[in-house]
Amino acid sequence: MLSILHFIWMLIIGLIVLSFLAGSAMFLIWLERKVSAHIQSRLGPMRVGWHGILQSIADTIKLLLKEDIRPVKADKLIWWLAPFFVVVPSVMAFVVIPFGKTLIVKDLNVGILYIMAISSVGVIGIFMAGWGSNNKYSLLGGMRSAAQIISYEIPLILSIIIVVMHANSLSMQKIVAAQSGYWYIFYPNMALAFVVYIISATAEVNRTPFDIPEAESELAAGFHTEYSGMKFAMFFVGEYTNVFIVSAIATTLFFGGWHGYIFPPIVWFLGKTYSIVFILMWAKWTFPRVRVDQLMGFAWKVLTPISLVNLAITGWLLLK
Amino acid sequence: MINYPKNFIIGAWSLIKGLAVTLKYFFKPVVTLQYPDEKLSMNDSYRGLVGLNPEKCIVCNQCVKICPTACLAIASRQEDKKKTLETFKYNMELCCFCGLCQQVCPTGAIIMTNIYEISVYDRKKFDIDLLNVKKYDEWTDTTVK
Amino acid sequence: MNMGPQHPSTHGVLSLELRLDGEIVKECTPHIGYLHRSIEKIAENRTYTQFIPYTDRLDYVASMNNNLGYVMAVEKMLNLEVSQRAQYIRVIVAELNRIASHLIAVGTFAQDLGAFATPLFYCFREREKVIDIFDQICGNRLTYNYMRIGGVQFDFPEGISEKIKDFVKYMRPKVDDYDQLLTHNAIFLARSKNIGVLPKELAISYSVTGPNLRASGVKWDLRKDEPYLVYDKFEFDIPVGENGDSWDRYKMRIEEIRQSLRIVEQAIDALPQGEPTVKVGRILKPSSSGTYFRTENPRGELGFYIVGDGSAYPYRLKIRAPSFSNLAVIPELVKGSKIADLVCVFGSFDVLMGEIDR
Repeated sequence: MLSILHFIWMLIIGLIVLSFLAGSAMFLIWLERKVSAHIQSRLGPMRVGWHGILQSIADTIKLLLKEDIRPVKADKLIWWLAPFFVVVPSVMAFVVIPFGKTLIVKDLNVGILYIMAISSVGVIGIFMAGWGSNNKYSLLGGMRSAAQIISYEIPLILSIIIVVMHANSLSMQKIVAAQSGYWYIFYPNMALAFVVYIISATAEVNRTPFDIPEAESELAAGFHTEYSGMKFAMFFVGEYTNVFIVSAIATTLFFGGWHGYIFPPIVWFLGKTYSIVFILMWAKWTFPRVRVDQLMGFAWKVLTPISLVNLAITGWLLLK
Repeated sequence: MINYPKNFIIGAWSLIKGLAVTLKYFFKPVVTLQYPDEKLSMNDSYRGLVGLNPEKCIVCNQCVKICPTACLAIASRQEDKKKTLETFKYNMELCCFCGLCQQVCPTGAIIMTNIYEISVYDRKKFDIDLLNVKKYDEWTDTTVK
Repeated sequence: MNMGPQHPSTHGVLSLELRLDGEIVKECTPHIGYLHRSIEKIAENRTYTQFIPYTDRLDYVASMNNNLGYVMAVEKMLNLEVSQRAQYIRVIVAELNRIASHLIAVGTFAQDLGAFATPLFYCFREREKVIDIFDQICGNRLTYNYMRIGGVQFDFPEGISEKIKDFVKYMRPKVDDYDQLLTHNAIFLARSKNIGVLPKELAISYSVTGPNLRASGVKWDLRKDEPYLVYDKFEFDIPVGENGDSWDRYKMRIEEIRQSLRIVEQAIDALPQGEPTVKVGRILKPSSSGTYFRTENPRGELGFYIVGDGSAYPYRLKIRAPSFSNLAVIPELVKGSKIADLVCVFGSFDVLMGEIDR
């Protein structure tokens, strides 16, 4: 009896989480178009709803009604499963994000490690999309993207380890609680770790200046060429959810999570997260794209040494 | 070896300066108009579709001769020493909006109006009879308000 | 592999046949002719004044300069001297159009490198101002048909001088903005420095002209070396590059915008009174066994070679388009580079298919 109630409770939580994510992704898509428009001295979507806020819903309906084209020689199972492998890890990472003092789905005591493990599964999804399309351009795009994500995971994890060393714990709530005095961004070695983290995170989610897999002016469209309709929408939504997750993690690790005065904690959390999302979008519309070999060189020759040096300095400071 | 961090800092600083430019424009007002609710209006010398004042025309055929794409066609009849117009056909598809006909007309009969929204759904609308007074009624005239 | 006629990176309808080895380009053959309109043949059936709208459509972003080249070639055949006011007006309008054309070159180059749309939108916003000025002068926004044999079509309307001065004041800080946003950007430099290096001898042997030649270190500009109109009365510099790579070509264009602003400022201040047109007959019947006149288009040296035989129609009109020679040297430069670099080199050379195919 109790287990059935428990099961129903889990279902309800799951539905709340999914609906929040769907709404958040749609809001992010609208925000991106508005931010990019205002940077370029124009207005963006204005027709559907107040200042175009229902535009994402209109786009979703359009994508739902599109014909689902499947390439004939595609490897059916892999091609069909690939979008799920890209979207599901982002949703799963949502479980350990602390929105408030007790507003967290489940405070695992290996929170950060869980997130790192889950995001590596996303790489498999991209690889599957590239292979299953039976299209040599998609395969190239998929391989390049996989190489990019794997190379940039190392500086990412190194920066996160610095935070974990300071907080003495892997659990997300404990990391936030350890910042009740000063936010971690105010320590100089943490500020450097934050810079490295933000750059690696931009590369992880395939945004400019690191969006080679989606580069329109070079290859046809990269790994998601052969997808149309709802599957393409899932890649798209997956990307924006990833942006949200990455910013939420940055807020938790470096900016004090939900700490703040006067307003309720969730307002602080969402405010900080959306500020970081704005920074990511701002960078997207300013910089040109980096070339593939320069991308790898940047990760291995610049970011990794900096994080390693940072790690050594932090260890020395903590041991003193 | 000492160049390496120096190059890195110069590079990073250049990126931040670029970000400052974009942020500046984020807060400035937009420069676009919401078409079709707000339209740009053209001044008098704009070279839009061709129009005609038939009473001024003396059927000298200069406009027909000078048009580079031969989009005008005139037919007239003689009425004791004065020629009057019968038909004045204008093929909008061929017109290149150069303004030579307006420049060469001695009486100012043929003019270029301000109409610039000239897309049509029907190919037959390309042949315009310039003597028809109501020809441009469905089309928008965008004189300076 | 074909990088087909419709591609977001090729400027116009250009089809490139590439031979690839993984990602390295082994051979590149451009296929042109998708925009061929047989303008030179049409010229044999049009009078000299009727042909002026056709010259607009050669290099459609720099219409005034094309008009200027053609009209001056015909005036050379007739030995016609134009009034001072018309010459100053022609210089002002040609330089404003050079600014507009370079803005497009800069914007599309940034877009090819991946800075999605932001620099492009900024450049088009600036270009709107120039086009508005032209709209008030001659009535059209893209194909102006403003020059006539003997002068210009209309005189400047009231109040245009103030507008042009306002534009010069508005444009100067914007060029500094482009410098800050793009020129010294670390990513931009990494993408375009030492890409597509064009050595001096190769450039001269392929008769590359314009900013591409000056970026390779050759100081050759027709406005200073063979001055036409009243260019010898103005003070301006010719920017010259060092390496001949894509960054240098881009930098040339930014510097040329600055120099053009200087020329416009001096010309507007010194504009004399007078008649804008000299009277010529309605039907011109020049006769010559071949006159060649060249002007400095934003893309290079535009030349018109006209053979007249005493009738109202020219016997032969040949147009020497700058982008044609510029395009010819590109396959040499991209051998052994990646596709991303190919896109970069194409963008930096700023070819326009309307000129190439005529």
